[in-house]
Amino acid sequence: MKKTILSKVKKLTSLLLIGLMLTSVFTGCTTTKADSSNKKTVYRTLKEIKKSGKINIGVFSDKSPFGYVDKNGKYAGYDVYFANRIAKDLGVDANFVSVEAANRIEYLQTGKVDIILANFTVTKERAEEVDFALPYMNVALGVVSPSNKVIKKLDQIGAKDEVIVISGTTAETYLTKNYPKIKLQKYDAYAEAKTAFENKNGVAWANDNTEVIAFAKENKGYTVGISSLGDNDTIAPAVTKGNKTLLKWLNDETKALGKESFFHKNYEKTLVDTYGADYEEILVVEGGKVK
Amino acid sequence: MDKDILVSYIPLYKNALLLTLKIGWQGIGLSMIIGLAGAAVLHFKVKVIKNIVGIYVELFRNTPLLVQLFFIYFALPKIGVNISAEICGMLGIGLLGGAYMIETFRSGLETIPVMQSESALSLGLDKRQTFLYVILPQAFSAVVPGLTANIIFLLKETSVFSTISLMDLMFTAKDLIGMYAKTIECLFLLVVFYFIMILPVSIIGMIVERKTRYAEFGD
Repeated sequence: MKKTILSKVKKLTSLLLIGLMLTSVFTGCTTTKADSSNKKTVYRTLKEIKKSGKINIGVFSDKSPFGYVDKNGKYAGYDVYFANRIAKDLGVDANFVSVEAANRIEYLQTGKVDIILANFTVTKERAEEVDFALPYMNVALGVVSPSNKVIKKLDQIGAKDEVIVISGTTAETYLTKNYPKIKLQKYDAYAEAKTAFENKNGVAWANDNTEVIAFAKENKGYTVGISSLGDNDTIAPAVTKGNKTLLKWLNDETKALGKESFFHKNYEKTLVDTYGADYEEILVVEGGKVK
Repeated sequence: MDKDILVSYIPLYKNALLLTLKIGWQGIGLSMIIGLAGAAVLHFKVKVIKNIVGIYVELFRNTPLLVQLFFIYFALPKIGVNISAEICGMLGIGLLGGAYMIETFRSGLETIPVMQSESALSLGLDKRQTFLYVILPQAFSAVVPGLTANIIFLLKETSVFSTISLMDLMFTAKDLIGMYAKTIECLFLLVVFYFIMILPVSIIGMIVERKTRYAEFGD
């Protein structure tokens, strides 16, 4: 009896090992396939988008006031305002796809969206994976904390304290790289990070400064102790690596929109309620030109 | 796939595996305790408590773990109950698993014909002895396949831990993809590590099932 069990186990394990090997071969194959097909089939060219009559744009659905779903169930915000204009000027319908911070690159690489307009900060690492168009917004990192225990410097954070970040954001990468000793509490969506911060699960929340300023303005009892951390970055639309026709069109569009001060108008429509007029010149990038 | 990247990610995955195993097994332990106690309550038809157990089972079997975790982790602090993420994960697995375990154990107890306990009682064993020495051993052998399936199910359910900021295997993979965009390497390691985590359970389950079936069939 014992023998049969043992041999069964052996058989099963070897079968599973073979399966595992096959998986690795399979994944190996898909890599090469993806590499070669990336350049041809994954993304849709400008012509194909126009022909289909619909453009898929990845936006946030929970990051007010940039990309969120309003009371009527419609997408709204600074990013969405721009996205709607893009669709209008292309003469197609905009189909919004809700994305999370950590999967924005994947959505482009698998061709599930044509453009990511989800407050996507331009970084070197990301530029290796996707193509960024001209920027439309400035951004840096910021840290918000409860007003009764404001964190003004990162070395105020104790060894046991945890800082809330959202997985896949520049804040996470920056802190991981430059302050590996700070304990991070990671969430995969904005809504969850916000709730956790409100529940006092962490001593501070590090994110894009636009986001933490908005949070402190909307919620009483919170102060942005650090309003600019790390490099000054820009936010830009991104397309699948190699999608030259769409990239060129986006760049031309951004330049053309600069002539009519489109992004200032966008700010006044979508962001002024949150940030007031003071931040307009700081945040807005017009015509793709950073001052 | 890049071998160097795979190797450099392994320590992170190992940590995630250990955390997943720790919380997963604590939860599974809790679920077995709940399961045994609940099944005993149902078996002996304890008044009132029986109904409470029934409600508990239906409530937790008919809501997703994700919702339960959300409730424990995000809603309870609003009314002043603060639970750490690890305990929350353990409770989530334990409570969800408990509901399934109760059903599994109860069905195991029901497989034993009434004649058995009647015979035991007529031979002079008391109620407690009958339950412990006659019913339970036989019921256990009938339960093993269901138990194994439950454990595997619960270990897989840990993949929703990312929502409460626990760096389990799934979240580690998602997080690394978000930061460095090495999708294929990360997902490959994810499959391998889940496999490493769950394969032993299947094998041990099979062996235990064989061994305990002796109670039913003999060798």
